[in-house]
Amino acid sequence: MRRVAAALLALTVGCVLADSAVVTLALPEILVRLHTTVGQVAWVLIAFNLVLAVIVRPAAWFYKKHDAAVLCAVGIAVFAGASALCAVAGSLDVLIIARSVQAVGGAFAVIGSLQLLVEELTERRGTAWWIAAGVFGTAIGPMAGGLLTDAFSWRSIFVVQVPIAVLAVPAALATRRRSGHSRAEAAVDTEKHRVRIRPNIALALLSAALSAALFLFVLLLVDGWRRSPAVAAVTVSVIPLAALLARPLDRTLRSGPLAQTMSGCLLIAGGLTGLALLPSAALAWTIAPQALVGLGLGLTLDPLTLQAMDGRLPHFLHGGWTIAARHAGVVLGLAILTPVFTADLRSAQPPAENAITALVLNAPLEPQDKIAIARGLADRLKQDSGRVPDLHPAFAQLHVSAVEQPAAAQLERDLDRQLERAATHAFRNAFLIGAALALAALLALIPLRRRGGV
Amino acid sequence: MSTVTRLRAAALPALSVVLVSGVLAVQLANGGGHFVPLRPANSCVIRSADSVATGIDGLTEELVVTGLNAAACQLGVSREAFALQLTQPGPRTDAQINALRAGLLIAVDTLKADGKLPKASKLAREVIDLSNLSGFRKAALRAVPDALIDKTLTTDDVLRHTINDLDLRALLGNLGNRHDLNAQVNAAVMKAVLESLGNDLHCC
Repeated sequence: MRRVAAALLALTVGCVLADSAVVTLALPEILVRLHTTVGQVAWVLIAFNLVLAVIVRPAAWFYKKHDAAVLCAVGIAVFAGASALCAVAGSLDVLIIARSVQAVGGAFAVIGSLQLLVEELTERRGTAWWIAAGVFGTAIGPMAGGLLTDAFSWRSIFVVQVPIAVLAVPAALATRRRSGHSRAEAAVDTEKHRVRIRPNIALALLSAALSAALFLFVLLLVDGWRRSPAVAAVTVSVIPLAALLARPLDRTLRSGPLAQTMSGCLLIAGGLTGLALLPSAALAWTIAPQALVGLGLGLTLDPLTLQAMDGRLPHFLHGGWTIAARHAGVVLGLAILTPVFTADLRSAQPPAENAITALVLNAPLEPQDKIAIARGLADRLKQDSGRVPDLHPAFAQLHVSAVEQPAAAQLERDLDRQLERAATHAFRNAFLIGAALALAALLALIPLRRRGGV
Repeated sequence: MSTVTRLRAAALPALSVVLVSGVLAVQLANGGGHFVPLRPANSCVIRSADSVATGIDGLTEELVVTGLNAAACQLGVSREAFALQLTQPGPRTDAQINALRAGLLIAVDTLKADGKLPKASKLAREVIDLSNLSGFRKAALRAVPDALIDKTLTTDDVLRHTINDLDLRALLGNLGNRHDLNAQVNAAVMKAVLESLGNDLHCC
């Protein structure tokens, strides 16, 4: 029974932390369905991460005063209710508000789950379960969101979270019946350790860099390269798969925690640089850079969280700091990178238009067909201003002779390739900034002085 | 710290450096960093355009595309940028119109130099067929022998005459209307042919 309760609590932690990026692949669909803009839809992500980062530390304070099981159950219930509201949201405003409430409930659920897992299992195992669930949720979130969006709709992402959370509520309360409700007092009585700054800063910077990897890369795949959410989800599955290799690699080499985390930062920076320097829009070229990012993620998030929490009391307080650091990092990453890539996307428009014009002028088509295509393309560019345009409707409404159809199809392919080039180029600076953030995390980990030195 | 411990500590960072360097080297060797949109060609490098269309439609397209290039060169922009400027709604500036006219005249010379201009008789016959002249006048003009037309007219002269007489502002306004565009071009060419023929036959 303890294991079932622990598994449900860990699953809830995974759900809450997956929510940080789970809607990434659904953003293009939300953008269309809720009639909004790229800048506004980014708030579906930002709001959740911002509220979670801000609330999680005060939430930990509540755990000093109140019963952990009850607070955790209430947090999970609020999370479940807000998830249901997200699923039925009819406007972007409602969705953003529901996401914010979801983050408030999630903050209490995550902190409480840590405390309850430690109580249910042992300190070491409970912390390990909690960290693993968080890393798993973070890594798997975008892929799961993409598959659900493609199979059903963006709303299904939130629907599936409701039953998990609903089952976790009695699981949390059951722990109270087993061990009483004196945890809060016990926690207050325990020794308080100071917060470990360095791993928390590194976690924040790495989360900012990883938000670049996940958020920007899926946006590039879905919006820039016009891949379906399912294809994008399968593509980004390279990241969690590569993350799984981190543990055996570390066990084989046994380089130590500092070397492990610094190597992870370097791999993430290298992977993001690789995404900035893609030679084409073929998905195969994204595998190696993603594998570097995934391996880096596996080598850093788990040990850094452990470094920040290991032997630190009370658990919920230090666990809260790691969650705050990670989600503040995501917000930082989105705040820095969103304006960069939207500005770059805008400035990529004139070169893309020039390339499109050149191809249309040189196309082996009748002059009147070129004029018809040019008018259709102009309409698409105007309609999709600020985004990578979908040129297909301009060709779908074109009536060309059978002789000219192969040339028209070739022109459409050539134009799509130019858009892929423009979009890939537009994301370059944002990926490079992400790489710089990962290198900054590496710098934060370099010891300033040797312990016990003169 | 023992040598083995030091080596162990260095193994993972060293492997990371090798992996990152390897991936980036392969990407750069395959064009990573150069995956950017097609850059517009230098508009001041004169090149004649090709068209899949035949007759007056093809000739018009070749003239326009080649002329756009020359006009863009005069304005110091790319052919593509100038074409996009011309498709924007709103009035055209005198500089744009003058550059376009000069560009089209240069295009006539370029196509002539490349041997792409049809014989005047071929051009005249097509224009006569497409014109809205009366049947009697069409029959009279068709009766003029090709040899006489080619002796009295040159295609480049007809085209220059046409370009100088064309109302380019109205032409650009008709870009969205194929029928009006063709009618305007055909009428201008017809007028140039008739005036040139009239002048030459009258004078000889």
